[in-house]
Amino acid sequence: MRLLVALMAATAAPLSAQSPQAIPAPTASAQGDVAVTIYNNDLALVQDRRDLALPTGRSRQEFPDVSARIRAETVTLTGAGIGIVEQNFDYDLLSPSALMQKAVGETITLVRVNPATGAETRERARVLAANGGVVLQIGERIEVLRDDGLPVRVIFDKVPEGLRPRPTLSVTLTAPRGGRQPVTLTYLTPGLAWNADYVALFDEAAGRMDVQGWITLNNRSGTAYRNADVVLVAGAVGTAEQRSRYPSPPSSGDVMAAGTETANRARVGDFYLYPLPQRTTIAQAQQKQVSFLDVSGTPAARAYEYRNPWLGTTEQPVSANSVLRFSTASRQGLGDALPAGTVRVYQRDSRGTPQFVGESRIGHTPMGSDLGLTTGQAFDIKVQPTVTERTRLSSDGSRWRTTMRYRLTNASPRAVTVDLLQDGLWGDTRIVSESQTSERRSAGTAVWRVAVPANGEATVTATFDTRF
Amino acid sequence: MRLAGLLALYLAGPAFGQTVVTSPAPERVGVTVYRDQSRGDARPQRQWLNGYALISETRTIAIPEGESELRFEGVASGIVPQSAIVGGIPEGLLERNRDALLLSAGSLVDRTLGQRVSLRRTDRATGKVTEQEAVVRTGSDGGVVLQTAAGVEALRCTGLAETLVYDRVPAGLSARPTLSVRVRARQPLNAAVTLSYLATGFDWQADYVALLSPDERTVQLQAWLTLASTDETSFVGATTQAVAGRVNRERTEVPPVSAPPLRLQCWPAATTTALVRGPDSEFYADSESFPVPPPPPPPPPPMAADIVVTGARIMAERERLGDLQLYRIPEPVTVAAKAQKQVGLIDQPTVRVHPVYRFFFDAEDSDSDEEGQLVLRSQNRASEGLGLPLPAGNLVLFATGANRPLMIGEGSVRDTAVGEKVEVNVATAGGVRARLGGEGSERHLLTLTNDRSVPVAVEVELGRDDGVSIDAPKLTRRDGKLMWLVTVPANGTATLAYRIRR
Repeated sequence: MRLLVALMAATAAPLSAQSPQAIPAPTASAQGDVAVTIYNNDLALVQDRRDLALPTGRSRQEFPDVSARIRAETVTLTGAGIGIVEQNFDYDLLSPSALMQKAVGETITLVRVNPATGAETRERARVLAANGGVVLQIGERIEVLRDDGLPVRVIFDKVPEGLRPRPTLSVTLTAPRGGRQPVTLTYLTPGLAWNADYVALFDEAAGRMDVQGWITLNNRSGTAYRNADVVLVAGAVGTAEQRSRYPSPPSSGDVMAAGTETANRARVGDFYLYPLPQRTTIAQAQQKQVSFLDVSGTPAARAYEYRNPWLGTTEQPVSANSVLRFSTASRQGLGDALPAGTVRVYQRDSRGTPQFVGESRIGHTPMGSDLGLTTGQAFDIKVQPTVTERTRLSSDGSRWRTTMRYRLTNASPRAVTVDLLQDGLWGDTRIVSESQTSERRSAGTAVWRVAVPANGEATVTATFDTRF
Repeated sequence: MRLAGLLALYLAGPAFGQTVVTSPAPERVGVTVYRDQSRGDARPQRQWLNGYALISETRTIAIPEGESELRFEGVASGIVPQSAIVGGIPEGLLERNRDALLLSAGSLVDRTLGQRVSLRRTDRATGKVTEQEAVVRTGSDGGVVLQTAAGVEALRCTGLAETLVYDRVPAGLSARPTLSVRVRARQPLNAAVTLSYLATGFDWQADYVALLSPDERTVQLQAWLTLASTDETSFVGATTQAVAGRVNRERTEVPPVSAPPLRLQCWPAATTTALVRGPDSEFYADSESFPVPPPPPPPPPPMAADIVVTGARIMAERERLGDLQLYRIPEPVTVAAKAQKQVGLIDQPTVRVHPVYRFFFDAEDSDSDEEGQLVLRSQNRASEGLGLPLPAGNLVLFATGANRPLMIGEGSVRDTAVGEKVEVNVATAGGVRARLGGEGSERHLLTLTNDRSVPVAVEVELGRDDGVSIDAPKLTRRDGKLMWLVTVPANGTATLAYRIRR
């Protein structure tokens, strides 16, 4: 109890003798009004409006609580009438070793503690060198610190100028008038990134799904941003380093038809903006999620797809891909542009508990797009492609005739349609005969839409005339 | 006493103007385990499970009026936080957070930078304890510099017994990564909050045990659902499911946990006599303040322990989940931390099988000798004694002999739907052999020998290049392949002569 009281007293009213500098309150931060804009590619723009008490004329101001990974070369400081003399980023850090190195030539206090009695003797010493061991001059004697292994307290008079606990940004500026005034600090920092995470609850019987979209942002910048106004930008802004490296856009392989509608969201240029609805504190090493999309009853359907490479033949039947199809259009769709992220699909089991049935990553998807997400492979719907015949047509070996048989099986109690794709039909390839009509999705790919009855099977055969 | 009360209040609120409600553990929990897709036929490594699980929890939480933070403790340590779904909060779910900066010796120092702590010294000779105020002037990485009433000192560079004493845990630091939500409620309410999330460090597979009948025409087929967890959290009384089928997963980055250790370094400390340090040599503090990992679990009991179980009392129930198969353990069980559990999955007393010895030759080869691969073949149909989806897993084949079951083969079963053929490659047979010889490059002779006292069915596949044809009356075509299907008599031979034409 007495200790608690002592602690309370210490926190409430620090003794002036023991506090040479003001000690901030536990959760206080030097940050002012913070606005953070976060891009997808591990980059954020921080704008920090602080009230500083400036003297008239030239002064040096330190800015603690900026990002620990600040890109110091991107810092700009603005304020009414304020002129910048220089900006410094100091990273000479305070440590016992740096403290001793800076004390070379200076005088320190030694407190020797008698190991038997605990009695203290105090003397002043001059540090001659701190290489390997610390060499001291005490009066006329030269000694190595703690050479005898006995306890010695080393007390330095002060923390040397220029040694700081953290890398610190400082700006030397001139102010036309003194007093408290707002200044705005702006800088870029890596360590803040975001993407989207979607939860799709698919009701297969009704052909509908409910989708929730979450913005997931991560802070690994080494600093917390308190009560910040956060805007997320869907897009990766090109940085100088990236422009020379031919950046590839995030893959959007699941988009079957890109949309042309404009979503009802704020945007700047090509980028959609997702402002967080209220100010929030982004702590260091924190992952934060905020909802941005909640749509119920969007039409969605399950489809099946099997893609066979040229001359693909398997020993055993192979499961077809299970594809979830839906639209982001305003009619019969989600009605929004989707920032890049992962869609996790759930379906209810017989007890009504949602169970995870697969996930798929999407790129930035415009509104009005048709999506087909591969969530997994169907246990009960399988395809076995077989090369049944392959003969050379001409004696010079320039043309071949290949007969394929595809056996599709369905062990589920409902009839399904499988999109069967045969790849690799390049050049002057001809389908000589086929058991059902195919459609050319592209020059190299033929597609058969095969109806497979419940608990049944279907067979497609096709003969190709090729150069290879 | 009033002061102590004040202090308690002060400690409770990590953020000002916000109450914290902590839910220590779920009331009801469901665990659905998914397989590691990349494992192939290999058995799960119990130390390193790469499958995952969906954990669904229900917790009753009293949400106070106004803005508050609900913290969910007792979640799986392998939680993928971005997959979390929080339901049952009727309104005002503002945001979800997961803090990965943990309470550690280093983060204590980091978060008290510039603040007041207590420096406690104990006299080794007299045991006298002195405490004094100090202000932390550095972070945890590279030694701690303190400002005391006397001046500036470095912690544990003196050879004295000294340590820092903190008066409280800094706000927002927990022992484990904690998922929390910030909510705003218009009135206090008791909410049944559901929390579901994916967690790594789980896996399962089916383990088949097949006992071959003496006439080699049927097997007694049993399968166990073996599920394992490397997670640190036990789920007691969990509704437990396992999902079979291939489920697509994307690469998901879970933000790493940050628990900085305390690295105490001093100034150069070499002495003129680099002798063994004295008893106070610990002035380089032990920086490895992480908990020692627990010892590996004991080795699994030998297989024989499983074999003697002739029937499981509890069998998993199967249902269709979209395009997957869901197996549910019919009563709540405990999915324990770092443990493996088995329940009955399949029990089919009489499954008709056809043992076949299989060979593969390149038809143009002229000198080759092979041992047969014993394959157990069946159809996944009710008429054969099967007719139910078979999830992928390991199969061990036993036969009775010498008054005990003997293991005669081991193979793997793939995900097999109803109606498909089932083929399990179980053993290499030394006694059923084939020899391919040739005269020149055209005439070939294939000889099969059988040292067993029963006739055996043999399938030989002859591989050939495109455009090469083989003259032999006995060959059949199956799935585009040339096969020789033959029964080799007991202790007998069979031969095939063929000619190659190009």
